[in-house]
Amino acid sequence: MTSDEHKEGIRGMANPRRYGIERVAYLLMRLSGLGLLAYFVAHIYETSNILRGQVGWDEFLELTQTTEGHIFLTVVIGMCVFHTVNGVRVMLGHGGVGVGKPGRPDYPYDPASQNYRHKIGIYSAIVLAAAAMMYGLAVMFGE
Amino acid sequence: MRESTIMKIHYGTALAAVALVAVHILMRLTQGFAESLEYESVLANYKFIPYAIMLELILILLAVHGFNGLRVILIELKQGKMYEKAVSYGCFVAMIGLIVYGSRTIIMTNIGMI
Repeated sequence: MTSDEHKEGIRGMANPRRYGIERVAYLLMRLSGLGLLAYFVAHIYETSNILRGQVGWDEFLELTQTTEGHIFLTVVIGMCVFHTVNGVRVMLGHGGVGVGKPGRPDYPYDPASQNYRHKIGIYSAIVLAAAAMMYGLAVMFGE
Repeated sequence: MRESTIMKIHYGTALAAVALVAVHILMRLTQGFAESLEYESVLANYKFIPYAIMLELILILLAVHGFNGLRVILIELKQGKMYEKAVSYGCFVAMIGLIVYGSRTIIMTNIGMI
């Protein structure tokens, strides 16, 4: 990493175009994690409306069961599936699965762990997230 | 607690949550999506004790996983003894607060305090 790259700070760290699909996965993992945590907190608040009885519950459903609400939920489904599949890949990597054998570092110093197996894992996570989003849209708008 | 132990908890809660959330979502699909969200249907879910226990487990697992994930992200961005302590305790308090608030909904609905 050059000193110019250091000067970019968090923006440089988050640049998804410079370091390949692994950096994109790193960024998406964190963004989807934060998004899912925000959704989880909102969901706990949303479901607590049942304590207000049928009227309170129905009032809140009117807010969430809209076209915008369904689109928002579709994004949540995408984040959830990507985070899960990529999370399993990361766990397997941490356990030493699919990272290759250790070897002498030779030029151009390609990291053995950033191999085709893990790239396939990342692309699979993206494709599965897209498929789940389409299924979610079909379920929510198909009624 | 050692970071390696925390990461084992992080991965364990993730795997357990995936299985339980899958059941939670499949329950929405056993009926029509909109129908499953109707007041009586949701109330019946909460009053069914095994399902209420599952909701409580999901709440705890996701709160632990989510707030530990937030802690990891915040510590990746900035380091320092005081900062790291503040982040760790802040996330712990938020996690406990969310579990208490969510448990209140599950318990009160289950025992019919509506």
